Amino acid sequence: MPLINMPEFSTHLLDEFAARGTARIDTPVIQPAAPFLDMAGEDLRRRIFLTESETGESLCLRPEFTIPVCLRHIENATGTPRRYCYLGEVFRQRREGDNEFYQAGIEDLGETATANADARAVNDAMQILHNLIPGRRLNVTLGDQAVFEAVVRALGLPGGWQKRLIQSFGNNAHLRHLLMTLASPQAETGLSPELAALLSQDEAALIAHIDRTMEETGYSTNASRSPREIAARLKEKQSLAETRLDGSALLLLSEFLSLEMSLSEAPAALAGFADAAGLAMGAALVTFQARAEAMADLGVDLTKVTYRAAFGRPLDYYTGLVFEVSRDNAVLAGGGRFDRLMTLLGANEDIPAVGFSLWLDRIEQARAR
Amino acid sequence: MSMITIALPSKGRMKEDASAIFERAGMPIVAVGNERSYRGKVDGHDDIEIAFLSASEIAREIGAGTVDFGVTGEDLIREGLADADRKVEISARLGFGHADVVVAVPEIWLDVDTMADLGDVAADFRSRHGRRLQIATKYWRLTQQHFSGSHGIQLYRIVESLGATEGAPAAGQADIIVDITSTGSTLKANHLKILSDGVILKSEACLVRARKAEHEGDARIAAIVEAVRKAV
Repeated sequence: MPLINMPEFSTHLLDEFAARGTARIDTPVIQPAAPFLDMAGEDLRRRIFLTESETGESLCLRPEFTIPVCLRHIENATGTPRRYCYLGEVFRQRREGDNEFYQAGIEDLGETATANADARAVNDAMQILHNLIPGRRLNVTLGDQAVFEAVVRALGLPGGWQKRLIQSFGNNAHLRHLLMTLASPQAETGLSPELAALLSQDEAALIAHIDRTMEETGYSTNASRSPREIAARLKEKQSLAETRLDGSALLLLSEFLSLEMSLSEAPAALAGFADAAGLAMGAALVTFQARAEAMADLGVDLTKVTYRAAFGRPLDYYTGLVFEVSRDNAVLAGGGRFDRLMTLLGANEDIPAVGFSLWLDRIEQARAR
Repeated sequence: MSMITIALPSKGRMKEDASAIFERAGMPIVAVGNERSYRGKVDGHDDIEIAFLSASEIAREIGAGTVDFGVTGEDLIREGLADADRKVEISARLGFGHADVVVAVPEIWLDVDTMADLGDVAADFRSRHGRRLQIATKYWRLTQQHFSGSHGIQLYRIVESLGATEGAPAAGQADIIVDITSTGSTLKANHLKILSDGVILKSEACLVRARKAEHEGDARIAAIVEAVRKAV
């Protein structure tokens, strides 16, 4: 049944998708809620419309398309690479704007030439928006999770701190808080004498102690974390507490996070940063440069794209590229690479994935202006 | 003259303690009809009526503005109402019904003492156990505010628990809990420990006022607040 409230440029948009060799995919409006809450976290609960089936299964109105499209792909087992497009309604509780609105986009699953696939996603989003909103200047911002991870790894912090920093990339307030903690002397964690004695023993004795205590307290039958896991993290924590980022490393990290420049300058600037800091960032920089070159080959004017080192999304399935196209502070398109999502959703093998979605209500407003 | 409605707990210690305070404040409460009636009045104040409700209903009714005042726990106010501070005002803390909403983990998690530790464990949980860290609680809102808002922890799932929450980790229903505790003895009996920065809210019974425009300049409203404050 044709929906009469579709944006009037929907047909144009579907032609754009078809011209790019994508296959349209539809997904039910009513979705199981668990995958969304699992992937995005409990915070999402307040922003989606939840309901329950008669049997108690938690359901929601489709809040976005990426997860349903990926689930449908896994279910159909049609093989890769595949490029899907979608256009339909999504439902979210928003402070501004309607609670139901249209989104459209492309998900590119299984393309192993990742730099080219990244470039194609950014270029497709930019071109489609240029065609829909001709003659207007669009702001394109690009970030890269993998480059940040490379900087953190090269700084040689203990594994636990690396994980903390990487987890918080994209959440700037939390990241700043972590950096301040790293810069200041750590408060003693106050190990009990008993625990300190345990820690001085070898790992096997520690594991045996934890195991015994679990038995005694009747906890072990349902223990989610094993004695081995707890013992290993206890050792890791000891090294965490003893770590203080020396001043120069902290400055480097802050300097990196403040980098902002046109993408045409970014590869050289990042290489220069790595050289000056003596950091080996290897593969991440190669990928970054290859992507920029692939974008230029597709005709993207790199001087019109901003690279911002601190730009990321604090979701653990994003692995590399993130980007956004906006006009007058309204984000019209957002996308990125999420190589970890497919296996998290149950795919048996690693499937590289990149995609973007378009906010049709905001595009409609931008066209009207 | 318009009626002022005060909602009070309908049973238990909370009911007795609330009545005692109003008595000391010069507003002795009498039940209308028999002892177990759910309506009451204040001797000598014909313009005040009392509604006896359950504690969580009181939070909801103040939030909706259907009553003018209520006596209930701050935990229920903050959990039950979005934007609580915009909708209601805590007029007086009454000094009873003390209870903390806390994050508690199994004692045997020797490596977890702080929210930062918990964040580390939550971040790795999915890759180690094939699912997110699960929290048993009835405090959805407070948990989200504390975990996501204050500590940047996103990766967990809430498992709703309406009773005997302390038993959830040992029973395998959840990994950790967010629950209310007054002495901590139930937590201890279930081999759980409170994280050092895991106190989400120090709650007690409060006199709470619905923020209503018609309260502006109504001397009776100010007088009730003043009298209760003096009686605490």
